Amino acid sequence: METVVQQLLNAAQLGAVYALIALGYSMVYGVIRLINFAHGDIFMVGGFAGLLLALRFTWMPLWALMPLAMLLTALLGVAIERVAYRRLRQAQRMSLVITALGVGIFLENLVRLGVGPETRQIPSRMPTTPVAWLQDALGVSVTWDKLLIIFVSLALMALLWAVVHRTLLGTAMRAVADDKDVVPLMGVNLNRVIAVTFAIGSALAAAGGVFFGQAYSLDPYMGIDLGWKAFIAAVIGGIGSIEGAVLGSFLLAGVEVLTVAYLSSNLKNGIAFGLLILLLLIWPSGLLGRPASKKV
Amino acid sequence: MSLLRLEQVSVAYGAIRALHGVDLEVREGEIVSLLGANGAGKSTILRAVSRMLPLQGGDILLGGRSVRATPAHELVALGVAHVPEGRGIFPSLTVQENLALATWTRRERRHVEEATRRVFRLFPRLAERRTQAGGTLSGGEQQMLAVGRALMTGCRLLLLDEPSMGLSPLLVREVFRAFQEINAEGTTLLLVEQNAHMALKIAHRGCVLENGRIVLEGPAAELAGHPRVREAYLGEAGASSPPCPGTPGSSR
Ligand SMILES: Nc1ncnc2c1ncn2[C@@H]1O[C@H](COP(=O)(O)OP(=O)(O)O)[C@@H](O)[C@H]1O
Ligand SMILES: [Mg+2]
Repeated sequence: METVVQQLLNAAQLGAVYALIALGYSMVYGVIRLINFAHGDIFMVGGFAGLLLALRFTWMPLWALMPLAMLLTALLGVAIERVAYRRLRQAQRMSLVITALGVGIFLENLVRLGVGPETRQIPSRMPTTPVAWLQDALGVSVTWDKLLIIFVSLALMALLWAVVHRTLLGTAMRAVADDKDVVPLMGVNLNRVIAVTFAIGSALAAAGGVFFGQAYSLDPYMGIDLGWKAFIAAVIGGIGSIEGAVLGSFLLAGVEVLTVAYLSSNLKNGIAFGLLILLLLIWPSGLLGRPASKKV
Repeated sequence: MSLLRLEQVSVAYGAIRALHGVDLEVREGEIVSLLGANGAGKSTILRAVSRMLPLQGGDILLGGRSVRATPAHELVALGVAHVPEGRGIFPSLTVQENLALATWTRRERRHVEEATRRVFRLFPRLAERRTQAGGTLSGGEQQMLAVGRALMTGCRLLLLDEPSMGLSPLLVREVFRAFQEINAEGTTLLLVEQNAHMALKIAHRGCVLENGRIVLEGPAAELAGHPRVREAYLGEAGASSPPCPGTPGSSR
């Protein structure tokens, strides 16, 4: 029983990182119907931004370092949209997808050239001491860093939910998802809403990268594997849906962690992708996705 | 005073010319009805005015100032609201959110409250449905929402693209009564319609568009009596019988 609780705790940490990435896939898809295949690499750059900041400013606490990494990565996301995607918005879908793949390869090589291909870890800025009261209650090992990752991620998700559902900016983002051609008639600058969406998605991915770089490790190609996982999570949950991305992420992480713990680590990806196929057979638009719009 | 003025406006979709040098004037406080068959270019004129389409030639003046280079979203701040063909409401947003989004450029509390009160007074059903998703409304309610939403921008000029489309004769009368009220409160209307009966009944002036060209224009009452209009748009073969403005237009 303890080990199950322990595994679920690990799954929560991994799921939190998946969710921070998956939200960006979902939000960008929502506004411009693009699977942004560079998004996993934006997550990777966010992690490296955290690493470089941590190495350069050894005095900087995490609460300053992480927002800074998020800000830098947000600017990167906005720049990518502006330079690579905007002029292709009216072009064929395939051109946009291929451009996104190209941007991803560019980022991987840029980081490899700049920082090197080695696996790195962000020197931890979080207390790794055990959380005594929780350990006593659950009977498993719980450290502060793990708890922080889970709760800060959840807080970011809650903040995003509030922005999307409780502000006029969020209303505009949802309106773009509904019918972007009408949005300018409301006096809303469509390009700006799309840019803000990229900024938010990239910033969340950077938060995931910084956490991942502390809890696990960083390398220039990590965005491929994790990007795919997060993408799968977003699709399972229903791409375009924020709640879906979070649900899919925790679900996928749970399945993965339990597979590794009780079956075999070789089966991890096989089961994750199998789950995707199975769930999509039952729910073609994802668990919380909207069915293909029946526009009148 | 002229609020809107189109001068030799030409618009093309790719290689296909949709407007061939259209001249049109809408004066402050007027209701101008723009009539024409399917494909004549009525929607294209409205899209050109709200700057959703680039001009190939000519110019569009708003209050004497050229808006040729103004992007669509900035036109809203200049007082132009466009209710597009097919309504264009946001189906997943609630009625309230649809209305709120249109206050993007006018967020002062006083304006938002006053505009909301006005919209709910004109269309009481929207008030009843304020927390309902736009996509779940009936066709008539969606049209009311589209018009109400446009009013939330605080517009001086309201562009309406076939607002009677798909509505029952009873509902058509209801929304047209609202248009007259909106106009009486000081908003200028440019109304595109195939329903010529209703459109000419409430308008001060009218124009007829054929194949991207204005072919007739004049006071609404005069147009309603013009043989060409009576034959082509009021469905009166021979055009000898007097027009009967009381009967609702042929509804689809
Ligand atoms: N998006 C478009 N692409 C190409 N041609 C179009 C498009 N929209 C309209 N047209 C053409 O432009 C002409 C005018 O169309 P429109 O303004 O929609 O007419 P109306 O509103 O009077 O029915 C028509 O010949 C139509 O086929
Ligand atoms: Mg039309």
